Amino acid sequence: MFGLIGHLTNLEHAQSVAQALGYPEYADQGLDFWCSAPPQIVDNIKVTSATGQVIEGRYVESCFLPEMLASRRIKAATRKILNAMAHAQKHGINITALGGFSSIIFENFKLDQIKRVRNLELDFSRFTTGNTHTAYVICRQVEQAAPNYGIDLSQATVAVCGATGDIGSAVCRWLGHHTGVKELLLVARNRERLDNLQTEIGMGKVMGLEDALPMADVVVWVASMPKGINIDQNTLKQPCLMVDGGYPKNLDSKFAYPGIHVLKGGIVEHSLDIDWRIMNIVAMDVPARQLFACFAESMLLEFEKWHTNFSWGRNQITLEKMEQIGAASVKHGFRPLLTT
Amino acid sequence: MPQLEASPALDFQSEAYKDAYSRINAIVIEGELEANDNYKKLAEYLSEHKDELIKLARMENRHMKGFQACGKNLNVTPDMEFAKQFFAQLHDNFKQAWDEGKVVTCLLIQSLIIETFAIAAYNIYIPVADDFARKITEGVVKDEYMHLNFGEEWLKANFETAKAELEEANRQNLPLVWQMLNQVATDASVLGMEKDALVEDFMITYGEALGNIGFTSREVMRLSAQGLAMA
Repeated sequence: MFGLIGHLTNLEHAQSVAQALGYPEYADQGLDFWCSAPPQIVDNIKVTSATGQVIEGRYVESCFLPEMLASRRIKAATRKILNAMAHAQKHGINITALGGFSSIIFENFKLDQIKRVRNLELDFSRFTTGNTHTAYVICRQVEQAAPNYGIDLSQATVAVCGATGDIGSAVCRWLGHHTGVKELLLVARNRERLDNLQTEIGMGKVMGLEDALPMADVVVWVASMPKGINIDQNTLKQPCLMVDGGYPKNLDSKFAYPGIHVLKGGIVEHSLDIDWRIMNIVAMDVPARQLFACFAESMLLEFEKWHTNFSWGRNQITLEKMEQIGAASVKHGFRPLLTT
Repeated sequence: MPQLEASPALDFQSEAYKDAYSRINAIVIEGELEANDNYKKLAEYLSEHKDELIKLARMENRHMKGFQACGKNLNVTPDMEFAKQFFAQLHDNFKQAWDEGKVVTCLLIQSLIIETFAIAAYNIYIPVADDFARKITEGVVKDEYMHLNFGEEWLKANFETAKAELEEANRQNLPLVWQMLNQVATDASVLGMEKDALVEDFMITYGEALGNIGFTSREVMRLSAQGLAMA
């Protein structure tokens, strides 16, 4: 059995979903209540592979809300993730993906140091960030979508914003060595990490965001756009492909210009309908078939019986692992989303 | 991404800490004492489990002594008068159920509510306790899971006949827990224990127990949140 740990986008959304799922006790409550709310399994999922294999999964709602970070209720936020993981493990789920902010919180607040949750020893081998599949899918989106907009990648400059993160560094490795783009622009805040990344992949220019954007034919976003930065659309290249791999996905409203094509990054489409209710309420365009690639990774690990934390830690994603998960992704019928 | 701020170090010898501790420590001692009495009573009724229940009662008595030692270690005199008042309503409800022969209600109050309340409080207390109290509390919390398990197993075996009474007993007694938590929220926070963490831990452990007994996830969500919004 696979698992997905998810959360809702904001308090208002959480209240409406609680109402829609028939939990009036939760629907009228404010942030304080959600800070105390326990994790719940709210959906049973059945996925059929293109090979015909069928697997079952559970959707664990962590009751985390992004407002907890905004209002600095950090302890509540970290408890939500650890409690959801404990809940998944107690229910015997073999491999669970940490979706949305879950893996970001886990890494940022170093939750790997906290192994014990009440009377349970967390077994981290049962969890995956899903980042390997996400990075693979973003790279395939770049490779497959760019030609559709008249961009020849062998002649293209690609900016990766958030280049030193787990997904960002994997994307740089793949696009540099596997795809063979002409130029990589590495954008991130931490200079030391940028220099290390540049040394490791043996290519790429370290640049600031505002300098990099006007030079890029393709921009891969795996970090959210810093607040207070205004981009003059006239300085951007046309055509320009933007792959929005950050969370939450909101770049399409910021770059609604002709010639700028924004693709939701790290999203896959399954070739068969998935039997679940939850995606109807987490704002996918085609809820029965579209999902986050990180979620799909736990499905792939279950299909292949690779019950291990395939994606874990920071900067551990190799090209070999991306190829391995990519082959499984194709085999079981997942495709990178290509429609803007 | 905001940073996790280190919690300020607790001064276990400060007057503010010891003042709050005098009430929290008393509640814990009183809770173990009530549990000891309740299990002895239950042993009279559930004669086939008499030996086990007497054993549980003895354990609660040991726990009580351990927590008395924790107070002594910090030179704190527990405010037992406050603690008696604190448990009065739950105590009366248990007594009334006992007088009416409602063993299911008695088990819900003692084995589910009081045990879960203790487990949640001890789990949240352990990371912020002084070294002496931490060791004692770690030992106690392991036992309390066993006690919770007794109630779960009995209620699970009798789920069909007990279900309606459990729902009614939950409706009557769970709101008291939220009131009790509110009453000590300030003192608990002086000891480094946050109310939302206590409520969450309670709901998780209580919800798991209800699920083990036989309630569906949907019923668990409804039952474990009962009265919380009004508290």
